[in-house]
Amino acid sequence: MASLIPCPHCGQRPREEFTVKGAALVRPAADAGRNAWLDYVYLRDNPRGRYDEHWHHTSGCRRWLVVTRDTATHEIEGARDTAARTETVE
Amino acid sequence: MSVSAIEHRAALGGKAPLISTGVTLRTLPEGHVLHLLSASADSDVSATISAVLGCDALTKRSVSPGQWFVVGDEPLSAAALADIVKKVKPHAEVVDQSHGRVRIAIAGAKATSVLAKGTAADLALNVFPVGHATTTLIGHIATHITRVSEDGFELMVLRGFAESLWEELAELSVEFR
Repeated sequence: MASLIPCPHCGQRPREEFTVKGAALVRPAADAGRNAWLDYVYLRDNPRGRYDEHWHHTSGCRRWLVVTRDTATHEIEGARDTAARTETVE
Repeated sequence: MSVSAIEHRAALGGKAPLISTGVTLRTLPEGHVLHLLSASADSDVSATISAVLGCDALTKRSVSPGQWFVVGDEPLSAAALADIVKKVKPHAEVVDQSHGRVRIAIAGAKATSVLAKGTAADLALNVFPVGHATTTLIGHIATHITRVSEDGFELMVLRGFAESLWEELAELSVEFR
């Protein structure tokens, strides 16, 4: 696992300060079909490579972040506040 | 609402200061700690709150985007607290944490070295200047650290963890005595 997370508010911090929630997916529209919601809630890819995850800086600023890391090399590409997410429903 | 007298006992009441050439640990008076929470993280809001309260960076300390601690050594009367709430209300909510958070002062040439053994936060003076504050883990205890001088810090911790943190700091500073 990656050991230093670049928190956009606090700087480089060890992973012990964080809680990982899991994949950061784009939330379907409220009226999306049953299958779209089933996918969103239950189905996960297990990719080798780049992966977006929700991390909570539990023992720091207590903000939810989206951390982009590589599941194969454990390299961290970056971290941003979830409030700064710009993804829209595809 | 019923009113009854509550006997205040300091969480670190019995702790004598640990003084040595390298590092000094002191308990700080349990005055007041107010947690301010704003829906906005704009620096304008922060500046506005500082202005209405007339306080500096060592009194109003950053916690996270849109959140600050206002601290002081004197307990606040109900009237004084109400006055602060009234002033801050248009910009942020105020939660009185005076009973819940305890402050410890650590100072001396080796203070940074002692803290660096407990936390991974970068405490170098150029990235963590006087007045800067952050929350981090010291060992397993979440602690809010404020730099109050070049070689002095104030640590704020939840009351129930105060004694554990004190003992941990005492142990971490043994080598500098």
